[in-house]
Amino acid sequence: MNRRSALYSAVIVLLLLVVIVLQILSMIQSDRLYERLNRIAGISKPQKTEARVKEGIKNEYPGDDGDWLIWCINSEPSNFNPITSSDAVANYVVSGNIFETLIEYNEDTFEHKPLLAKSFAISEDGLQIDFILRDDITFSDGHPVTADDVIFSYNTIINPGVDALSYANYLQDVDHVVKMNDRHVRFIMKRVYFRSLSICGGIPVIPEHIYRFSSPDEFNKRISNPVGSGPYIFEKWEVGREIIIRKNLDYWGKMPNVDKIIFRVITNDAAAVQALRAGQVDFIKQPSPELFSEMSQNRDFTEKFHCLSYWHPGVGYFWIGWNQDRPFFRDKRVRQAMTHILDRENIIKHILKNPEAMIPTGNFYIHGPQYDSAIIPWPYDPERAKQLLDEAGWVDTNGNGIRDKDGVEFRFKYQIVGGTSIHEQMAKLVKDAAAKVGIEVEIDPYEWSVFINRVYDRKFDAVNLATVGGLAGDPYQTWHSSQIGNRGSNYVGFNVAEADKLMEEARVTIDDEKRNKLYHQFHRILHEEQPHTFIYTRPGEAFLSKRFENVKMHLLGINHFEWYVPKENQRYR
Amino acid sequence: MLMIPTLIGITIMVFAISRIAPGDPVSLSMGPGGQMDAERAADVREARMKLYGLDQPVPVQYAKWFIRVVRFDFGDSLKHHRPVIDIIKDRFPITLTLNLIAFFLIYMISLPMGVLAAVKHRRFFDRASSVLLFMLWALPSMWVGQMMIGYLCGPAFLNWFPPAGLSSNNAEILPFFPWLVDRLWHLTLPVLCLTYGGFAYLTKQVRAGMLENLRADYVRTARSKGLSNWTVVIKHAFRNSVIPVITIMATLIPAMLGGSVIIEQIFSIPGMGMLAFEAVTTRDYNVVMAVATIGGLLNLAGLLFGDIAYAMVDPRISFEDAD
Repeated sequence: MNRRSALYSAVIVLLLLVVIVLQILSMIQSDRLYERLNRIAGISKPQKTEARVKEGIKNEYPGDDGDWLIWCINSEPSNFNPITSSDAVANYVVSGNIFETLIEYNEDTFEHKPLLAKSFAISEDGLQIDFILRDDITFSDGHPVTADDVIFSYNTIINPGVDALSYANYLQDVDHVVKMNDRHVRFIMKRVYFRSLSICGGIPVIPEHIYRFSSPDEFNKRISNPVGSGPYIFEKWEVGREIIIRKNLDYWGKMPNVDKIIFRVITNDAAAVQALRAGQVDFIKQPSPELFSEMSQNRDFTEKFHCLSYWHPGVGYFWIGWNQDRPFFRDKRVRQAMTHILDRENIIKHILKNPEAMIPTGNFYIHGPQYDSAIIPWPYDPERAKQLLDEAGWVDTNGNGIRDKDGVEFRFKYQIVGGTSIHEQMAKLVKDAAAKVGIEVEIDPYEWSVFINRVYDRKFDAVNLATVGGLAGDPYQTWHSSQIGNRGSNYVGFNVAEADKLMEEARVTIDDEKRNKLYHQFHRILHEEQPHTFIYTRPGEAFLSKRFENVKMHLLGINHFEWYVPKENQRYR
Repeated sequence: MLMIPTLIGITIMVFAISRIAPGDPVSLSMGPGGQMDAERAADVREARMKLYGLDQPVPVQYAKWFIRVVRFDFGDSLKHHRPVIDIIKDRFPITLTLNLIAFFLIYMISLPMGVLAAVKHRRFFDRASSVLLFMLWALPSMWVGQMMIGYLCGPAFLNWFPPAGLSSNNAEILPFFPWLVDRLWHLTLPVLCLTYGGFAYLTKQVRAGMLENLRADYVRTARSKGLSNWTVVIKHAFRNSVIPVITIMATLIPAMLGGSVIIEQIFSIPGMGMLAFEAVTTRDYNVVMAVATIGGLLNLAGLLFGDIAYAMVDPRISFEDAD
């Protein structure tokens, strides 16, 4: 009996061994298969588009035509309707590639430049904006782009049944839009506002003959197969996996080099980098900061991949907001003291680990014209902070180690988004720094959707948040005293009459130079008042395969249209 | 027949929890720091709420939802503007494949292991297997998944497996067989992650059942009749030990769907798990409800199936006797 079971177990062990060996063999096999597959991928897939290449078309971006860009995205886009989708990922796919706007920014000068419109003009009083469309523009299906399409796009956005209410809000200042002729649209404004030109000129133009709808719900449900006038055509959307767009060979404008862009969904950051290293994807925009700093120090990695660190107006900044409803933060000396206790240089060096990150002193884009670069950040100086707190009357009267005033102990909750390691590390640093000057901080983490509701309702003592930037942002919504409460964006309760006046004046000043002067003054007040402690602003980060060349940094960031792969390095066809 | 009220109960619970939980899709879609005037923000918010049908009281919302669901209409996803049922149709087969393979593997390996451990009671194989299985059981799949991606999926260490997704670039142009191999190659790691933790529990169950039966009188009788050890173990003891294992099957299904949420997120697999995760973080109520309802339904179906299988394997149990 014993011998039998010994035999039996021997058989089982043998079977297991066979399974393991088979598994290893199959892995080797699939490795080979994968290689072959990549090769197959290179040769098959008939490209009828190639035959359609127009004779004599002048490719205006330098470099060789061809190859694909595989762009890694970290979540499934909501949909590809440019008007109802609001997530960044959907925006990567459609904006610029498929849909275009009337005007855009010149990427090296921050100035407006024509795109679908060949010219644009604002009337003297600032209440009329005219756009004259180009004559040669067509949608990718061959239909010309006309004034009717522009007006249709506008009417769709402001339709209350269309799920674009926050977008429609930007267009509130538009009274109505007039079609002067087929190529000429005029926006009539209700009031003067300096951003009107960029808002009206920034509407994505959608073709009326394709998107026409009888009920708004029908439009909301138009989620895929976008058709626009851009250099790329939508090819397919495989849900949860990838989105493919291919070059529009009949594009009216400057033709990009890359034949296809494939947006591949990889939800796990570490897996995305592995896929990049294994050559399965080419481009990762905004990898996690930890990964970026780790990989950019890895020599093997940097030999094969560009680690791009680039400034662009969208970088925004990172801040701690002090709720001025709370007794401790009402006094600006206390807020200044809070800034003085933080060693921001150290945060950038040891937590962010991006040597290019900077300490801002105000809300504007740090390299933009509105930002006054003459203002120097408050230094790290705990002694000065103690002095300021004493001056403001916060001293430790009862000897428990915590400062107090009028019976209120200086003890507050510091609200952060849970589960983000940078914010958590920083929160500990704040807690530590505060303890050294006799202030007790309790770290208060929340899940994101709960977190923002608490911010809207101003239910926080101090909050840690990032603001998304913009080139010609208007500080009004964040800083004007009328925006306190009622779910307005002035969460900290900043209320300075002089600042209010400056912002109101700036809103109706169309002249850029004059307005920027007003903003410089406003910036100075912000620096003095410290409603936020501005922690850092960091450049955008991305990984890109070195197969791609002509990767330039512009004032507006990077532009994938100008990238190309030299013929000998091309991988896909 | 208690199943239907149970299912309704589940939906009420999930509905209530999802609405009571702080945060809502409207605030999320508006985002903080947006450029919006205070006086307008409230209006926009209200209009949006109305558009999504969130302005009514919760019980009314539930009643409306319920009436729709009875007709198998789960509504539209708030994020994707697509009927929820279509989204689930895309995603459910993926999760099902993943879990069925994992399930099959768990049983294929655990049953023989359990039997063998019982036969070799207190001998080397028994001890070694139990230590090994418990070690596996104790490893969190989240960590193992990340480690696998780190060490098995890139040129830095072993470049054996793909780190994400279900198929290679352009896999759809392959003929069926290579396509299948490609698919299996992508499934290996996620399935492994879903599988290894399940061995310990099932093996222990089989082993305990077997031990009990091997000690039973009828086994001794069978042996004394002169039947071979193999026959006794398989035909007599094993058949009787399988009964509890079947009921476990019913409880394993929901547990695996839960595990799927993590695994799918790690390996970027667009299944139900990822959908559920996404829906919860974006407060996409209709999707959350649909996933919960379908999950609950599967759960109950699993239990029912367990009961039926139970009756089939064990002649002593029958539904008529229960009355």
